[in-house]
Amino acid sequence: MAFYNKIIKKSIWVFHVSASPCNNCDIEILDLITPGYDIERFGIKLVGSVRHADVLLVTGIVSYKVAPRIKQLYEQAAKPIFVIGIGTCTAGGATFKTSYNKAGVPLEKVIPVNAYVTGCPPKPEAMIDGVLKLLGTLK
Amino acid sequence: MSKCRIPLGPFHPLLEEAEFFDIKVEGEKVVDIEMETGWMHRGHEKISETRSYTQSIFLVERICGICSTSHPFAATHAMEDIDNVEIPERAQYIRIFIGEMERIHSHLLWLGLAGHFIGYDTLWMWTWKYREPVLQIFEKVSGNRNHYAMFRVGGVSRDFDNALIPEIHPVLDMLEKKMLMIAGAAKDDPVLRSRLKGVGVLTKEDAINYCANGPTARASGVDIDVRRDDGLEYNLINFDVIVLPNGDVYDKLVLRVLEIIESVKIARQCLDAFPKIGGDYLNKVKHISPGEGIGRYEAPRGEVFHYIRSDGSNRPLRHKIRAPSFSNIPTYKASCLGIPLADALITLAAVDPCYCCTERSIRVVDKNNKKLEHNLLTMSREKTANIKKAVAGSEKTPIDRIFED
Amino acid sequence: MSDKGTEFFEKFQDKITKVIKKPKRIYFNVKNEDIWEISDYLSNTMGCRLSVCTATEVYDGLEVLYHFSDDTTGIYYSPRVKTGLKNPEINSITPLIEGANWIEREMYDLFGIKFKGHPDLKKLLTINNPHFSEDDHPMRFNRNRTKEK
Ligand code: SF4
Repeated sequence: MAFYNKIIKKSIWVFHVSASPCNNCDIEILDLITPGYDIERFGIKLVGSVRHADVLLVTGIVSYKVAPRIKQLYEQAAKPIFVIGIGTCTAGGATFKTSYNKAGVPLEKVIPVNAYVTGCPPKPEAMIDGVLKLLGTLK
Repeated sequence: MSKCRIPLGPFHPLLEEAEFFDIKVEGEKVVDIEMETGWMHRGHEKISETRSYTQSIFLVERICGICSTSHPFAATHAMEDIDNVEIPERAQYIRIFIGEMERIHSHLLWLGLAGHFIGYDTLWMWTWKYREPVLQIFEKVSGNRNHYAMFRVGGVSRDFDNALIPEIHPVLDMLEKKMLMIAGAAKDDPVLRSRLKGVGVLTKEDAINYCANGPTARASGVDIDVRRDDGLEYNLINFDVIVLPNGDVYDKLVLRVLEIIESVKIARQCLDAFPKIGGDYLNKVKHISPGEGIGRYEAPRGEVFHYIRSDGSNRPLRHKIRAPSFSNIPTYKASCLGIPLADALITLAAVDPCYCCTERSIRVVDKNNKKLEHNLLTMSREKTANIKKAVAGSEKTPIDRIFED
Repeated sequence: MSDKGTEFFEKFQDKITKVIKKPKRIYFNVKNEDIWEISDYLSNTMGCRLSVCTATEVYDGLEVLYHFSDDTTGIYYSPRVKTGLKNPEINSITPLIEGANWIEREMYDLFGIKFKGHPDLKKLLTINNPHFSEDDHPMRFNRNRTKEK
């Protein structure tokens, strides 16, 4: 495990799932890979398949319809995988906490979570910080 | 030729939102598309009934992160429509300024994603680079990059700081220059032209029959723009409504580029007006009387519609929300059928930036499960020949207009 | 109001009741049988665009408010159709205006109003959602709630 953690810190690959968010968190995640922030300089890369990913970014309140799919995605991922909930939506539901179609508020109800980055939406700097802090806890 | 079914989504690598398309193809030709919605359903209309009017404005802001001014704009219009509330002039200019800056960033976002769908990532990186300063302006003006929380019934919640004007002008100049550059690229670049010209045509009749609105309708020659038709704030401003005739994806791209240039002009008019117009920015409304109100606003994607019924209490009795994509997405039935699969994806995306899909790795099989290699080869050869022809005869396009003057 | 609007109200004066006029918004009640004819006139003769329909549950039934926008003048014509709380049913206008397809499906989904003559009436937003059964319409007050699992 220690060896793996040492390697993973060098370059983490991220997969992004949107589960009933308002879209804004997703746009800010995409913003990270464009020239304004360019997280590839830290070795962080967005990948196209969850099977390649080390970190899963989840946004939104996870409606009942997507909840089974999110579980499926989590099961498909190669372990260990670290899950980060982006946005207040995943942590506390934000304005949607009284919605009739929320399955995952907080996200732990659906899949295990390692960290939350709150904010509505969190700034891209906060997201980078969240990912790096999570990596800092790995021994 | 037998039909082949291609499921797309809900978590496709490049679909940014969860949506499910069930595409049926015959060879390379799309013969039927079904779409399944409901992955993102959060029940805003029900939540809004439990919130006070001021709280609902923050709620509707979170319908969509990209149009996060348009929904509060329309919702406050609906609330003001019940009592015919007057809005101070300074607040009107602030509203227009925020609305137009949002249009700029939203269209830039779409341009980038459209480039991404057709495999032209350079365009994506460029446009998103120019989008970043716009978000920084928002951060200076309102305190947040997205979700500005600027709207209140009867005005805006914060004043605009006049000291920011000299910082904003250079950004607008830069945007105008870069947009002219992208317009030039659209005019001359053979990749963009051949990939988008004549693709996914939505005829004027279909646009009217499907009740399309916004850029989707305007690119098909339907002259509607809520900013001009409804008046209200926009009576203070001079602007042109851009209408293009062809209805293909290329026209939608050009239309959005031209609209950004138009929005820059509107934003400049607001900046010129700010130092001259002082005074109040919020007309405090204590009570909304019983009645019904309709409010709408031209969001970057089309007409946002809000209907509010009040019973005199501090909460809406019914709050109906209609986002523009709700009317625009069903037009895929008219524009996507009969075109090659690779083009169908950009056509789906042309309506709304939320569906990015570049699923291309399909295997076309015939009845006996043999690969149709030969057919594909001839098809691709034919297509290349057609593209060459189309690029060679470059007729005059609406985009030439902005280079003439 | 424009000339077209005055003409419209003269033509249908015996079918329209309870007109509420505001400068740019006009609400009026029509009967279920007449909604086809009135939508036909509004959309095809006057060239209005169907923006959306609003369904509301009130104490004595359900009502559907159609919003037709006249884009040349910016006026909204909103006919209102009422139906009962039990087995609500309204004539569909989808065969007339293709754009009403999703609008009616949404109202069926959230309120359970059946649209007679709709070509493909199924749920739109809570379709295939394990939490909502076929007769669970989440915007109704007495919701046929599916048991929490
Ligand atoms: S946290 Fe806020 S910005 Fe992010 S998806 Fe939720 S509502 Fe949208």
